[in-house]
Amino acid sequence: MSRFTADVYQNEFLPLGATEVDAVVTVTALDGAAAGAAAGPIRAAEVVIVDTSGSMAVPPTKLKAARQATAAAVDAIRDGVEFAIVAGTDRATPVFPAHGLATASAETRAQAKAAIEELEAAGGTAIGSWLELARELFAGASVDLRHAILVTDGQNQHETPEELERVLAACKGRFQCDCRGVGTDWEVAELRRVASALLGSVDIVPRPEELAADFRAMTERAMARGTADVALRLWSPQGATVAFVKQVAPTIEDLTERAVAVDVLTADYPTGAWGQEARDYHVRIHVTAREAGDEVLAGRLGLVVDGALITQALVRAIWTEDAELSTRINPEVAHYTGQAELAEAIQEGLEARRTGDEAGATFKLGRAVQLAAEGGNEGTLQLLGRVVDVDDPATGTVRLKRHVEDVDEMSLDTRSTKTVRVQRPAS
Amino acid sequence: MTGELALRCPACAAPLHAEDRFCEACGAEVGAPAPAAAAGCRACGAPRDAIGDDGYCTVCGVRERAPGQRAEADLGIAAAVSEQGRSHRRNEDAFHLERVGERDVVAVVCDGISTAASGDVAARAAAAAAGAILAEALRDGGDLAAATAAAVHAAGRAVQEVPWVTSRAALALPSCTLVSAACRGGEIVVGWIGDSRAYWLAPDDTRQLTIDDSWAAEQVAEGRLSLEEAEADHRAHSITRWVGADAPPDAPHVTNLRPATGGRLVLCTDGLWNAASAPADLADLLDGAPDAPAAVAHRFADAAMELAGRDDVTVAVVDVDPEGAHGP
Repeated sequence: MSRFTADVYQNEFLPLGATEVDAVVTVTALDGAAAGAAAGPIRAAEVVIVDTSGSMAVPPTKLKAARQATAAAVDAIRDGVEFAIVAGTDRATPVFPAHGLATASAETRAQAKAAIEELEAAGGTAIGSWLELARELFAGASVDLRHAILVTDGQNQHETPEELERVLAACKGRFQCDCRGVGTDWEVAELRRVASALLGSVDIVPRPEELAADFRAMTERAMARGTADVALRLWSPQGATVAFVKQVAPTIEDLTERAVAVDVLTADYPTGAWGQEARDYHVRIHVTAREAGDEVLAGRLGLVVDGALITQALVRAIWTEDAELSTRINPEVAHYTGQAELAEAIQEGLEARRTGDEAGATFKLGRAVQLAAEGGNEGTLQLLGRVVDVDDPATGTVRLKRHVEDVDEMSLDTRSTKTVRVQRPAS
Repeated sequence: MTGELALRCPACAAPLHAEDRFCEACGAEVGAPAPAAAAGCRACGAPRDAIGDDGYCTVCGVRERAPGQRAEADLGIAAAVSEQGRSHRRNEDAFHLERVGERDVVAVVCDGISTAASGDVAARAAAAAAGAILAEALRDGGDLAAATAAAVHAAGRAVQEVPWVTSRAALALPSCTLVSAACRGGEIVVGWIGDSRAYWLAPDDTRQLTIDDSWAAEQVAEGRLSLEEAEADHRAHSITRWVGADAPPDAPHVTNLRPATGGRLVLCTDGLWNAASAPADLADLLDGAPDAPAAVAHRFADAAMELAGRDDVTVAVVDVDPEGAHGP
């Protein structure tokens, strides 16, 4: 059985009349969550979806890199794992095997790589149809863990956003999908939408030659997950409203809309498969204000692992007239509130820049620089430095760069949701 | 796990809806609030078994109240108790209770200002300093009104010396309220600054001896609001005078009392009078039972915790019997 711990960080004291309760909950999967530590080896299925639309041939290195990356992913698939390779254009085509899934072995891996060598680029882009085929392939597999990798270089031009949404709704909860964009012609928001719906990550691979290493790492990470199905379960009292449930580390991911009602007071928020890792969540609950001295359980956050409820953490509220207590700032909540604002400032700043609103872009990206400097987001600060010239990070004084490479702008956008964990003094 | 299913009929355990007055399964009346609420959740009235092992109601989340820690002194003819309120992280009330000889008593009750720094230390320092001066006056046979003024002055000096650090919220200097009583035979001298109070409770004479230095009291005194209206206002507890370095320099209020018959002197912080402000209501809390001062003080503290409970509560009770005592 996997072992998890949940730790709550909050200032439970509220001023009289206040109704908003904030808490950061750190969930840690201990060694038992890693693959192989469970009772038996976890059964997994892996589908790799490669964009083979016409644009992948421009420049030709792109398709070549995609072939190499897919082959590298195939090499990382363990013996016994069910797998398939899918080529995506304006429709989805099985590359290997011809039907269903193959069981990984030295022989099938070699066959798959031979088929990958034959891939040619032609046609359009309809991401929904690719995911639909993946869903059908996974549906036939009797496994615990279903993981897909999707790589594309373009926008979803050959189906409507509604079609994509419909497919995403059908795929939700059926498999997880990590998404990668190659080059600079794909749309960050679109791929983020897909990854978010399918509990996966999204990232930019600026240079095609980096794709192979990334694919290998993603496949290995997916294989290392030993706990297939974890959900947060949040109980809140009668009359309370859950304002949001957000994953805030390692990346920002708003889970609020994913709520699945368990009963009138309880909802589950799926988080997918877990390896040996820690994730932080920020929960905000509105409760009925009570009298000074009253204590209320604002939330009971549990983990549902493979259907069983384990590890509960309590989010509390105590009303007080003592301002010294109620104004204490909880460092974890403050840190992640800043991290969420940072992601927003970057995305809004880049949007303002795209629409020619220089003042708005300068203000938002300046605020982002300030927050990144405060929060210790070294990586983000570097990416920001390619879009703006920083005069003073402490005050957020910046100037927009005259010329910005597309790849720098997209890298900043894609990685805006990557957070750093709160710095705790060493004990 | 929880939800409406957590509401169950106390008679047959069938599930209930929150608005049900009668159980659909067995017909038992379940809407009657008082007895069920006493055993179950005090906030939403859910039955006892809806309260989880951790003390939180599984319907509304409100936590059961646990008994707090109580400081007490019992001198026979006088007693005092002090209990920390549930919304405070430390008890910012303090008392000084001392018997001089057989029948003479000094009682001082202080309430540290929670929006100021080190309110708890200020209250303890003030109560001790004032108590020492009044006890000395009782021993030496000094004038009690003059001693009361000197005692409050000494309390102010003691509070000024309280070390304090600034923090985001605690902007005011250490300060507190003070109410004192020196009882010698049938003579009682009461002094006060702020909104801690003294009451006289006797069979035919029940009254408040002090007038709060507070926003509410000023509104009532100037005829702008009724007592009920003023006390319901969020500014009701804003005090206009206090003991501390930044306090207005005026002398304390002093009043004396020479009761003809025996009675009970009660000194208390607002933690008690929030629960029962009018003298008659305060007397009603005792239910007419002729108890020893210690039992009376505990009864007041219990009632304050039950009815209000958020603030610290401190109460000193002195039995005064002019006939049994050596006369004036």
